Amino acid sequence: MKKFNYLLTVLFLVTSVSAQQNIGKKHLQLNINCKTCHTCDVPTKNEPCLVTCPRERIATVYQKPEETPELIVINELVKRYSPVYFSHRIHAQMSAMGGGCEGCHHHNTTGPILKCNSCHEPNRKRENISLPDLKGAYHRQCMDCHREWSGETGCNSCHVPLKDYKPEKKEVIQKRYAGKEHPVILEPTKLVYETNSAKGKLVTFYHDDHSKKFGISCISCHKQESCSKCHGVNRVTDNKPIKVDTKNTFEEQHRNCISCHSKNEDCSKCHSDKVLAPFDHYKSTGWALNKYHINLSCAKCHGSKLPYKKVDNQCISCHQGWNNENFKHSVTGLQLDEMHSELSCEDCHLENNFAIKPSCTNCHDDYSYPKQKPGKVVGKK
Amino acid sequence: MPGKSRRDFLKKSAIIGAGITGLSTSTAKAGPKNILSPDRMGVLVDTTVCVGCRNCEWACKDAHNLPAGNLESYEDRKVFEKKRRPDHTALTVVNEYSPGKNSNMPVDVKVQCMHCDHPACVSACIVGAFSKQENGSVIWDTDMCIGCRYCMVACPFQVPAFEYHKALHPDIMKCDFCFERTKEGKLPACVEICPVEALTYGPRTELVRVARERIKKNPDRYIDHIFGEYEVGGTSWMYLANKDFSELDFPKLGDKPAPGVSESIQHGIFAYFVPPVSLYALLGGIMWISKRRKELEEELK
Repeated sequence: MKKFNYLLTVLFLVTSVSAQQNIGKKHLQLNINCKTCHTCDVPTKNEPCLVTCPRERIATVYQKPEETPELIVINELVKRYSPVYFSHRIHAQMSAMGGGCEGCHHHNTTGPILKCNSCHEPNRKRENISLPDLKGAYHRQCMDCHREWSGETGCNSCHVPLKDYKPEKKEVIQKRYAGKEHPVILEPTKLVYETNSAKGKLVTFYHDDHSKKFGISCISCHKQESCSKCHGVNRVTDNKPIKVDTKNTFEEQHRNCISCHSKNEDCSKCHSDKVLAPFDHYKSTGWALNKYHINLSCAKCHGSKLPYKKVDNQCISCHQGWNNENFKHSVTGLQLDEMHSELSCEDCHLENNFAIKPSCTNCHDDYSYPKQKPGKVVGKK
Repeated sequence: MPGKSRRDFLKKSAIIGAGITGLSTSTAKAGPKNILSPDRMGVLVDTTVCVGCRNCEWACKDAHNLPAGNLESYEDRKVFEKKRRPDHTALTVVNEYSPGKNSNMPVDVKVQCMHCDHPACVSACIVGAFSKQENGSVIWDTDMCIGCRYCMVACPFQVPAFEYHKALHPDIMKCDFCFERTKEGKLPACVEICPVEALTYGPRTELVRVARERIKKNPDRYIDHIFGEYEVGGTSWMYLANKDFSELDFPKLGDKPAPGVSESIQHGIFAYFVPPVSLYALLGGIMWISKRRKELEEELK
């Protein structure tokens, strides 16, 4: 009997341990931060200290605004006013260039979104006064922006006094924000600034070149943008240069520029007395971008590392897969006629140098490129 | 013999003088309460957080039974066009100033009694009506107040106001740090209502620590100065800001407390009217003596 008991215990221990290990293995494969599901540091089988459901879709600070809750009811401190209905999703979209999720959900772990009251105490009379209390924390999040772009500090712009509160209000508000999104932010093409520098007052900044061609993401410059950047009352809509009058130091003022451009670059590259022309690949490098290359981001050819690596003008430097057999001449915009398609490249492109004009005079006396073409033009160059 | 009579006179006046000093020292002991408790409370006003909603103005009036009106009327920002001072109708007011460093938002500054650690009003009050309490508040006894307004003159922040409209019962009025509320364990009314907790209530030592931490963590946000930490020997209410305090209408004050030396003398002179009465008695006595002497001299002639 004793032996049997002993066996049973061993069996139980083995199964329980192996069961735990199985779960553990699964966890490891999933590669999830423990804090995603567990609230304590060492969860055990008996005390898993799991976070409250629903756990299948836990919001983190790494989610897209579109995946976040549309409406959140803030009803933790209701004394004078009714609960606040906060249109979360639209605010999340707005904050994309103002610090993202972490702008409000600051000091959040990589795990689930922490509730504000896990740090900010609901009681104003408290021991630890180094953090604002819950009421203060909520209001600072809202009012920092709201007072800046609307100048409003009145309570009733967000709150409904308890006496005027009607319970059906929630549905009305839910409807109002259903599917509503922040409009797509229109990007300026060109911005001209009038600075207070002694030489070269005007700075021309080609915004879409930087974002589209140079492939710089919005948030690499627009990190802590406030709503008033667009919604401000003093927004300039005419085409006059934007006045920049600041006491900032050189570094502070050029922070965004010198993160790519060297600090010691020639000032006249951006500063001038007149509005400057945009970057022209032909003028700067002697190699014009054709219709296929013009829409590429710089990094596609020059690599993403700065300073950009130099690329020679040989096609096969980039198009390494091209050879005599598989090259279709029509990609250049010129479909060779039957006669010419039989020729080898070198017959027209002397010494296989594709950067210089093809020569017709090798075979023809009275033909010249580009006046006469050895085939059909299939696309505009 | 004029020499002899002068000696007599000096002797007599010395005795009476000693009597007065004796009296005044004994009364000075029962002078104003001036406690500087290490656990005294205070408020840290972070003007970089304040949004200028003026809810504190409303709550203050409401707590002190002053006509307050409704809260919505305080949303009117036109009041900021003029700089205001606390008076008998409003014990605290918020003023607005142009933006400070690294901000394009105006600076809003709440003004009220600073509740000095070494209050000049307590020192100046000739009847000892003012007192610094254990919890840090500087309050006064309306029943003792004789309306001399010395406190108004003495205050380095020009805070105490005077209710002129009640001729028979004039009142000095100023922020009392919600003495009655805090006694019941409540927060001061302004601290309680502040939506953004620009006003942090806590032990003064702790507030200084918090303020230093904020400056250290956000050097771009604040200037490196806690107003009230050292000014006039320290105040219970302290301020953080992102521009020089002189630009926010704060007076430029030294670290030395308002004169405390004069305190005991002044209180001695006026306490319970005993010293003035004795002074007049002394003068009367001298007058009587000299008159009597003259009479005697005339008789001798």
